[in-house]
Amino acid sequence: MREARFPRLLLALSVVGLMLVGVGGAPSPAAAQGKRKLAMILPGPIQDADFNAVGYVALQELAKAYDLQVSHSESVAVADAERVSREYITSGYDIIAYHGGQFPTIMKKLAAQYPNVVFIQEGSGRMADAPANAWVIGRKFYQGLYVLGALGALSTKTGKVGFVGGVRLPDLVATANALQQAIRDHNPQASLIYNFIGDFNDPVKARQTAEAQIAAGADVLVTFVNLGIYGVAEAAKAASKPVLVTTLYTEKWDTAPKNMTVALVFDFTRPYREIVGRILKGEKGGYYEMRPGSGMELSDIRNVPPEVAARVRAVFREVVAGKPLPEITDKTP
Amino acid sequence: MTLNPITDLQLWQQMLLYAAPLIIAAMGELLIERSGILNVAIEGMMLVAAVVCFVAAFQTESPLLGMAAAMAAAGLMALVLAYYGITLRGSQITVGLGLYVLGIGLSSLIYRVVFGVRLTPPRVATLGPLPVPGLADIPVLGPIVFQQNVLVYVALLLVPAVHLFLYATPLGLRIRATGENPRAVDALGIDVAALRYGATVVGGLLIGLGGAYLPLTLTGTFSDNMTAGRGWLSLMLVIFGRWQPGLALLGAFLFAYVESFQFKVAMATKLVPPQFLLMLPYVFAVVVLIRIYSGARAPRALALPYDREVRE
Repeated sequence: MREARFPRLLLALSVVGLMLVGVGGAPSPAAAQGKRKLAMILPGPIQDADFNAVGYVALQELAKAYDLQVSHSESVAVADAERVSREYITSGYDIIAYHGGQFPTIMKKLAAQYPNVVFIQEGSGRMADAPANAWVIGRKFYQGLYVLGALGALSTKTGKVGFVGGVRLPDLVATANALQQAIRDHNPQASLIYNFIGDFNDPVKARQTAEAQIAAGADVLVTFVNLGIYGVAEAAKAASKPVLVTTLYTEKWDTAPKNMTVALVFDFTRPYREIVGRILKGEKGGYYEMRPGSGMELSDIRNVPPEVAARVRAVFREVVAGKPLPEITDKTP
Repeated sequence: MTLNPITDLQLWQQMLLYAAPLIIAAMGELLIERSGILNVAIEGMMLVAAVVCFVAAFQTESPLLGMAAAMAAAGLMALVLAYYGITLRGSQITVGLGLYVLGIGLSSLIYRVVFGVRLTPPRVATLGPLPVPGLADIPVLGPIVFQQNVLVYVALLLVPAVHLFLYATPLGLRIRATGENPRAVDALGIDVAALRYGATVVGGLLIGLGGAYLPLTLTGTFSDNMTAGRGWLSLMLVIFGRWQPGLALLGAFLFAYVESFQFKVAMATKLVPPQFLLMLPYVFAVVVLIRIYSGARAPRALALPYDREVRE
């Protein structure tokens, strides 16, 4: 019966492989009884050197700062998030953080069922019907991206700024609107061309899109993707004319030193540290806003003339000071 | 913005660039299937090849070693499939699916074991265009065909090579015969198992090269599940091509053209939802496949284990 053993072996190997990859980090060995337990659910892989990586870094900082027992699950699809959350809750985790705007429906459902568990949910802004045991982090992406749009408007020589977006979520539509306004405000002769590629983490599709935008005349590419940025960088490097690229979350100078111009750097440690500190003091719900100047900072500005860099910095300061910008809308620009 | 589906040279360039991994992997799959082995692990094999290529190229700073490592990794997976399907005469679909799932998990695992979590991603230099002297300057055709990276040329040359191998060499004839009627091949004193092993492993090496294409020419990095269905598409192209290299090439061109074109449509008009446009190449592939499949005939012994002791 040799035939019967072999598939079992493969099946076992497959299951072990998937468990190692899909389930994510195990609780810290140093974890002791009595510690508060916090679990973070992430929509993508933590080695993306981008959105998920900065979330994971924040989680590790929390463990150190508050002596928490932490765990995480990465690449969690929306359909799996409820199951994963329940597993954590039944294992004694009483703070569940969703690092991603995909999970509010699940969070609300679980918050009603588990009033003693505190949830942290990232989103676009205040949540109208946020449960009492939920903290919401409102990430005003579009305000930061407006500044990158200003850089595009001020730097473009062809009069075309490209936008490579991942999934067509409200945040990204708002970003496209903010870029449009930035172009109107700073270079009305220029125009915006944009695509949503349906995935934040597909560098091949992102490269195809960037190549199409470059062929259509874009010489500044504003990006709102995670791993997709590496495809965009390759497209910019391979272009026959100079193309500038902006990034999010982390600086990525090494990816394309002649093309990377600025990054909108996110520090998720700041809101999470503040929120978890208040949870530990007994505050079970509230709102924290991430925006330029609060968890969103501008990196160095490179590969553009100094006067452009200076103007972009001035625009950033204006936004930090509260310059009015378009609100989130489902209407494409 | 205006659309020029015929005169837009960049569209045709993109078609070749993005069809190449499909062509290389499809040629590997075709060789395997013509010998009578069905390999549904192709997606997982490409993923493992992609990560192994990336790790090897990163560590050695040699794209050639990256390619070699990728081919070896996929070849090894093909060997597992061959052992199960040929020596143990098990279900090729079962082990193929097992290897596919294993490939997804294993590729992620290898990456994070080697690199861990970083805020600065590891990268390798990608292969740039390699213009062919004398041909790269030909109007229209030059920029489209002869200003590509080296693996595109490999992909294009593989098609006639595989065709000639299958149809103009004695070994190719034996492999085809093994896929059609292994008993007749066996009756002539030819080792069916050796032929199938050889075809499966060589096909695996090509699939590995298809997987290596992604990090080495398109992205310079590895990401989880980066094949994004390209393995399955290559499998489909073999059926689309009715197990003929030339027709599979045509299928790869059609898919890559539609895929590249939809990005331009998405830029030109906002009337069509982007989700629909992103789905379009796959809908196109399925519709064409359904049309083509009627009347297509797979190798008669495909997926059937051969046992000379069994009476038919």
